[in-house]
Amino acid sequence: MSDRSPIQFNEVNERQGSFLRRTFLLGGVALTGLGVLGARLAHLQIIDQRRYASAAVANRFNDRLQVAPRGLITDRNGVMIAGNRPSFSVSVVRDVTQDLDATLDLIARLLPETAERRRRIIREVNAAPRFVPVPVKTDLTWEEFARVSLFVNELPGVLATMDEVRFYPFGGSFAHTVGYVAKVSDRDVEAVREEGEEPPAIFYHPGFRIGRQGVERSLDKELRGRPGYQRVEVDAEGRVRGEDADGSRAATPGAEVVLTLDADAQNRALEVFEEESGAVVAMDCRTGDILCMASAPSFDPNLFVSGVPSVIYRAWADYERNPLLDKAVGGTYAPGSTFKPVVGMANMLRGGDPNRIIVCNGGYYLGRRFACTGRHGPQDMRNAIKNSCNVYFMTLAVEMGPDPIAEVARNMGFGQIFEIGLGGQRRGLVPDRAWKRENFQGENQRWFAGESPSYGIGQGYLEVNALQLAVYVSRLANGRQKVMPRLVRSVGEAERAQGAFEPLGYDFDKVRVLQEGMEMVTDAGGTGFRNSQLGLGNMRLAGKTGTAQVRNYTTASRGRGGNWADRDHNLFIAYGPIDDPRYAISIVVQHGGRSGGAIAAPKAREIMRTLILKDPELLARVNAPPVPEPDVAPEVAP
Amino acid sequence: MTASAISRPGERDRLPVKLGQIDWRLAGLIALIGGAGAMMLYSVAGESWAPWAGNHLIRFGAVFVVMLGLALVDIRWWYAAAYPLYAVGLLLLIAVELFGETRMGATRWLDLGFTSLQPSEIMKLGIVLALARWYHGASAQEAKWHWKLIIPALMIAVPVVLVAHQPDLGTSLLILFTGVAIMFAAGLSWRIVLTGIAGIMVVAPMMYFFVLHDYQRARVDVLLNPEADPSGAGYHIAQAKIAIGSGGLLGKGYGLGSQSQLNFLPEKHTDFIFPTLAEEFGFLGAFFILAIYGAIIAISLRIASLSHNHFGRLAAAGVTATFALYVLINGAMVMGLAPVVGVPMPLLSYGGTVMLTVMIGFGLIQSVRVHRYLELPKSRGVI
Repeated sequence: MSDRSPIQFNEVNERQGSFLRRTFLLGGVALTGLGVLGARLAHLQIIDQRRYASAAVANRFNDRLQVAPRGLITDRNGVMIAGNRPSFSVSVVRDVTQDLDATLDLIARLLPETAERRRRIIREVNAAPRFVPVPVKTDLTWEEFARVSLFVNELPGVLATMDEVRFYPFGGSFAHTVGYVAKVSDRDVEAVREEGEEPPAIFYHPGFRIGRQGVERSLDKELRGRPGYQRVEVDAEGRVRGEDADGSRAATPGAEVVLTLDADAQNRALEVFEEESGAVVAMDCRTGDILCMASAPSFDPNLFVSGVPSVIYRAWADYERNPLLDKAVGGTYAPGSTFKPVVGMANMLRGGDPNRIIVCNGGYYLGRRFACTGRHGPQDMRNAIKNSCNVYFMTLAVEMGPDPIAEVARNMGFGQIFEIGLGGQRRGLVPDRAWKRENFQGENQRWFAGESPSYGIGQGYLEVNALQLAVYVSRLANGRQKVMPRLVRSVGEAERAQGAFEPLGYDFDKVRVLQEGMEMVTDAGGTGFRNSQLGLGNMRLAGKTGTAQVRNYTTASRGRGGNWADRDHNLFIAYGPIDDPRYAISIVVQHGGRSGGAIAAPKAREIMRTLILKDPELLARVNAPPVPEPDVAPEVAP
Repeated sequence: MTASAISRPGERDRLPVKLGQIDWRLAGLIALIGGAGAMMLYSVAGESWAPWAGNHLIRFGAVFVVMLGLALVDIRWWYAAAYPLYAVGLLLLIAVELFGETRMGATRWLDLGFTSLQPSEIMKLGIVLALARWYHGASAQEAKWHWKLIIPALMIAVPVVLVAHQPDLGTSLLILFTGVAIMFAAGLSWRIVLTGIAGIMVVAPMMYFFVLHDYQRARVDVLLNPEADPSGAGYHIAQAKIAIGSGGLLGKGYGLGSQSQLNFLPEKHTDFIFPTLAEEFGFLGAFFILAIYGAIIAISLRIASLSHNHFGRLAAAGVTATFALYVLINGAMVMGLAPVVGVPMPLLSYGGTVMLTVMIGFGLIQSVRVHRYLELPKSRGVI
């Protein structure tokens, strides 16, 4: 190379020397590269070990949420009202099926009907969170289940499981009071968010159901229980390889709820309503326990559990008798003549003499003629109740004005909502002067004397619901205490006991006057006589009929015929037995079109019979030989 | 046998002497890696010889014998075979381009009727031998900087372009880097080397935007930001890193690597065998294997430097470069330092073709050692 170089290399040596240096360099580069790999290895395996170890665990284990069995709901005697039944189902897990279309094709070959719902299934599968199975078909027959189970191991992401499904053995009997469960909707999620909480993960589980109405809704959190986790070891395809028992948590079943209702009375109530529309509430007038609380017509809550077909839902929603509404607390009606004892009490409290005679000429005149139900002649308070004389109570109402009536009405339970663990209650309306002042403009803020006659016979602005009516009769029957209603007897182990009731605050003598009037209603000549005879020995009911006008009569039929929606409401309140009041009942038959005695009373009688026959003490009385002093010969309604 | 005895004419051609000249330390280290491969394949198959471990071991035994056989082949035969092998490789690559069989979107295979062949594998050896032969005949000055360098440059460029077009980026880069390494070892001017490095820095980003296929570009994207799409393209790297990292210092134990046993690790028996090893044997096990690879590379380069003929030196260095590139690219790939290019870990990964190529290469290295005292004339037609 260089001439000045002291040592002369021949060409071969020069090539060799250069090669040796270069190779040494290349070797150095390669070994440095390996050193970098070693350093990287140390970084990953020693410095970051913890992070990757937890990532490996997260990869490997999959916490599968398990819906807790929902708490049972039973009646007062332990009869199951809402339970859970097993259901075989086939589900798909989105992140595990590589090809949803192909998987659904295969499932459709085993279960042909799933092909029709394919679109909906795909939508639901795509909406579900990761690794959550989405049911493709529920309630498989054993044969179908066996067929699917045979192939399930070859279908990645397909699960054949036995789940629990909410079940209401009595169908529509408890549909409104007990309510039903349904899939969690966006609105449920929003409702939780509005309370400032994050919706629990279980909300997104396709097997989870949330309480939607009645007790199912108000006690939803207690009934829900605590979801469990099953920690399973899965492979990259999501196939379960094993279970980690230590990482799993069993689901805690929801609390069992015992209601005060009686299943037999409840079923009887729905039976006696047949096609008619209305509500009935029966209570124990000593304890306040609600024994029967039904709304008719009803619907099958079981259909909500897996989703009501829209055709059926539309039919329910469009039906004028409104099966979806809980008429026991969510519908308000004018109480009609059932309100008259309130007016009587208000009068007595102001010093009015119940023996005062008012002569009924068949009409009351105040600016115009207010018709009476008949031409009753001279009436005292007891007879006015017996005959349901409008003139008598119109006279009292006009004399007193609205405020004393409203005061008694509120004390008797009207115009308020009871904390019995039931949503959707409507307060109704107990009108008085203050209410008119607040809710009307100008001239109309005054209470007109012409508005009082209607008030006296339970019409006009007055609106009550069936539960309030039942509380009112219970307090009338009890006579001494402000009976409060109770629907939920216990949740889990915790008894929901009622404290001692407040005193009603009226002289029992005054209450007795009303009771005597109501006893005459169901006695010979009373408005409710024919249809209120129990036929159980010497046991009798006391009651009060009512017919509430739905609109101003313009036709000759006077609310008895014509369009269903134009007919009068028929009401009946009753308690019994009269010598030892135990059970009180209120019943509203919407647009019954006749009278409370004809339409409502027979229904109330049947339910009361059921309650009395289930009461061991009263049943003993029925079966015992007749007591020596029968005031009234037992008569059976013709 | 004494040192003086071996210098006796004809003594070196005796079979027992030749066998004695084989570098048995190197052969032992190679066998160690092959055995480790079989062991890992047994583990990832769920403690089963089928489907991989048994095959791997049988194949390894076969190619080990091939290596020993090739070690005894006179270096002059290698020299004579250099250009023909390269020519055959080139023709087959062109044939693939014209009639190749397409599998998984890449045209790499040539259907020979009884078996299918990847001509790019032949080219890995062909390029080493052909360049070694060319440089053997070239002067120091020609190797440094001369217009004739266009010949080795073309010898490299043509197969690189053909393989890249298949497309097989991994093999193409392997051939390119091997060729460049030989040119460098042969004495390429430092000025050119540095200019080349600077040039790559400029050209690489342009390659990214204009030359790479979409899937190749995606792999580079994933490398730069693997967490962006952990279930998509970044899945391989993410899962491999989890496997390696969760192994810790001592590993989870043989057969207990959850990442590979539960199939989170893709290609766990081929390209991603090393993370499985790192997961089950931890840093100590993985570093031990890297050290063995380092020892193999060091011994091979020492063999290259001890050869008395330039052809042998360059051929051995070239094969070592290929081998080292395999190890470095695969290692960097599974540890998230390089894009996923589909290069296996030699001798550890399952796969017959690469194993055969690598072991033929080691046969050549052993042959260089056995025949290290042979002086090859610069002229052509040595035999």
